[in-house]
Amino acid sequence: MVTESAHEFETQDLLLNVGPQHPSTHGVFRMVMQVDGEVVRDIIPYIGYLHRGAEKLCETMDYRQGIGFMDRTEYLAAMNAELSYVMAVEKLAELEVPDRAQWIRMILVELNRLASHLMFMGAFGIDVGVFGTPFIYAWREREAIIDLFEEISGDRMMYAYLRPGGLAWDVPTNFVARCREVLTAVNQGIADFDGLLTKNEIFVARTQGIGYISAADAIDFGMSGPSIRASGVPLDVRREEPYLKYNEIKWDVITETDGDVYARYLCRLGEMRESVKIVEQCLEQLQPGAIMPEKMPRMLRTPPGEVYIRTEAPRGEFGVYMVSKGGNRPYRLKVRSACLSNLQALKHMSVGQYVADAIIVLGSIDIVLSEVDR
Amino acid sequence: MPEGLFGLNPWLDGLIRLLLIVGLMTVVAMGLIYIERKVLGRFHARVGPQRTGPFGLLQSVADALKLIGKEDLRPRNADPWTFEFGPYMVFIPIFMGFVVQPFMAGFGVRVLDLGILYFVAVSSVSIVGWVMAGWGSDNRYAMIGGMRAAAQAISYELPFVLSLLSVSMLAGTLNINEIVLAQWQVPNIVWQPLAFVIFFIAALAELNRPPFDIPVGESEVVGGPFVEYSGIRWSMFFLGEYASLFIMSVLISALFLGGYEWPFGTQLGIGFQLLLTVVKAAILIFLIIWVRASVPRLRIDQLMGYAWKILLPLSLVQVLVNGFVLVYHLPLPVLTVAGVGGIVLLSWLTERAIRKPRAARASAIALQSEAAS
Amino acid sequence: MTSEESTEATAPTATLDGTIWAEVDRALSGITATAERGVLDVIVHVPPAEIVRALKALKADATLNFDYLRSLTAVDNEDEGIDVVYHLYSTTAKHNLTVKATLPTDNLHIDTATTVWRAANWLERETAEMFGVRFTGHPDPRTLLMPEDMDDTFPLRKDHPLAEIEILQGEGMGYSDEEDQ
Repeated sequence: MVTESAHEFETQDLLLNVGPQHPSTHGVFRMVMQVDGEVVRDIIPYIGYLHRGAEKLCETMDYRQGIGFMDRTEYLAAMNAELSYVMAVEKLAELEVPDRAQWIRMILVELNRLASHLMFMGAFGIDVGVFGTPFIYAWREREAIIDLFEEISGDRMMYAYLRPGGLAWDVPTNFVARCREVLTAVNQGIADFDGLLTKNEIFVARTQGIGYISAADAIDFGMSGPSIRASGVPLDVRREEPYLKYNEIKWDVITETDGDVYARYLCRLGEMRESVKIVEQCLEQLQPGAIMPEKMPRMLRTPPGEVYIRTEAPRGEFGVYMVSKGGNRPYRLKVRSACLSNLQALKHMSVGQYVADAIIVLGSIDIVLSEVDR
Repeated sequence: MPEGLFGLNPWLDGLIRLLLIVGLMTVVAMGLIYIERKVLGRFHARVGPQRTGPFGLLQSVADALKLIGKEDLRPRNADPWTFEFGPYMVFIPIFMGFVVQPFMAGFGVRVLDLGILYFVAVSSVSIVGWVMAGWGSDNRYAMIGGMRAAAQAISYELPFVLSLLSVSMLAGTLNINEIVLAQWQVPNIVWQPLAFVIFFIAALAELNRPPFDIPVGESEVVGGPFVEYSGIRWSMFFLGEYASLFIMSVLISALFLGGYEWPFGTQLGIGFQLLLTVVKAAILIFLIIWVRASVPRLRIDQLMGYAWKILLPLSLVQVLVNGFVLVYHLPLPVLTVAGVGGIVLLSWLTERAIRKPRAARASAIALQSEAAS
Repeated sequence: MTSEESTEATAPTATLDGTIWAEVDRALSGITATAERGVLDVIVHVPPAEIVRALKALKADATLNFDYLRSLTAVDNEDEGIDVVYHLYSTTAKHNLTVKATLPTDNLHIDTATTVWRAANWLERETAEMFGVRFTGHPDPRTLLMPEDMDDTFPLRKDHPLAEIEILQGEGMGYSDEEDQ
């Protein structure tokens, strides 16, 4: 019956162009949705609107200048991006990072993870349709972290604070006290989100069972970060291949098994709690000391070689593949963007669901377009 | 009495009434915009407008001036007539609904014997304007938004009207003023708690307020039917939205909260009656803004399912129970018990509907694999 | 092999003890693969003609189980050709491997890895538009980041000028050769 009537009335799917200017594409992402009524039949994503050729530019800059490009590549978690880059340089140049610098780095990247996840919470709240409330709650707590970063580095987004070998300069004397203040605020913020969204009936109804991806598919698509951990794969570079001091403190890898949008949200919420724990432990471990190696060359040169450094950024694995052929600049720099790989799975996750669901699936993988396009 | 409002020539009288509606509603809508921004600001842990005038009171005036000064754009492919008349078709029926609103005893713009019927008939016309705006804009977001608005309005009209009906059954009249007067001892919410809840939910949907704002869903269809409008035409929609918010709140307060009556005496002055109505409406408006600040948006299928599978049967049951109680002259507290039981049932059904999606994941997976390429 | 000559022979095979090379060598039987020790991971050089067979073998092998493609990119070594680099990871066995295939400059064709991991799709599109590497059999050979019509310019190649673009954009930054070492 149904097929016969389909022959009689030829229907045509609507092509709906979402983006690059659209409130919920998180930047300049564009996708063309083939819509049958309200159901998405196909999605063709278009990226590249924010491509600036950061990789190519880094090839012409020396190692220290490249740090700035990493900030701009991943502007919501700039510390994490810088970390991958400076670790790559350190591995190539065989620099030993002093303990104090490592602990401070760890505090900073975890705080930045908190800031980034807060941003996710806020933006996701808007995607799901709460008018502004979670966004501004998130902004309030994120502001505390950003203020702290401003006190440390002098900038609110583009910190350029990590250096190959250590840090640009030591943190202010009241750093530990300020960190604790920020953590108190963030703890409150996490509780607020938990109260506002986690058990909200409509939120649950909107996010559960949506955008499902199985563990096997997630691995096949090369997803990483909370997006894959929500599918039950405990893939976390901090645990698998510990860098900095992650193996010296106690923390858990947060996984969820459902693999849907709600699981990804819960995963991030849990990770925020873990990050707070990590920072608290780091603050206890922080001892006075040097922040740069003793023998630091004025002009940093690396022997020939290549290295692929991966660290766990808020959105997943932020990899830096650096090839050196000697000299003071990388021969080739490739940034492995977690968002790019996660975004590949978007079509798989949202086809067959409603238009409104496709939007929140996109929101749930938390893309940063400047990282996707580089 | 209503005919003799100004004691003038009927045409002049009508003109004055018309001006009264338009003038009052515009002022009220502008005030509501200011209040909503201020209240939402507080919910958002911020201050809201504060730079324009004392406490930002002139913010709406500034907005209105800006909107009037803006260019009235029309997309080249838009259908001129539907596009340009859409806003008026939204805006005029809403203002017409004002005619039967009771503010004080015997002092409405018009007191109609079939007031409820008139209100339902007139207010449902505005959906035509939404569809016109959505279709005429020649924009796919607008079209999806217009279709969503139509689907939503049609679905929620039924529980809306049925809960109105249960109230008027109790009072035995369709005249809103008489319904208010019948509540001089006990407001209807005591006898009809379930109808109140259903009516409030359906009113949110009729108003396109969150969580039922899917026709205008900012994050999905970018404002829906309004997406191509600018300047004065866009402000018509805005004005209509806030005017209907006010009208709906006054109506709910009149039908369920006793309007200008209260249980502590009937000899009230006109000013006191007006104050009572406005305070009751203000509480409802605050509640609606509060809901807006806290809940996410529903999805279209959940929205429709909620109306047809949960609200509509429950409101039908409410009408039946009312009829039963009234025909057999049972004591009215039976209605209260039944209503509270109905609210419990409603919450349970809602809870059950929410728990469903996770169980339905298997079907989502099947859909994916079917559509996988 | 050209790949053997092109890379610095810093690590003779003897230092590969204790790495997963023995396993990899067993999995890649029948394929002429050579290995060196990188800073973190073992680097395996595979001839481009056999790359997909090698990757499939690495993924299918029960003990290696490289089921996760971290990254896929290329390095332009100018006259020595273009290296296509695959960074693999195993989510079960938790080990890494870098696979390289060196393409000669006059024949930039290599089989697509999308048949092995779906993750390779966009990464290959990016590599193709940036380096001019042609992935034969790719299901969606459009540009990814570049404009649709920009299919004859390969920005990440070393012969693609950077300063010249800036001059074209009207802001000659004037990098001179001396500064550029």
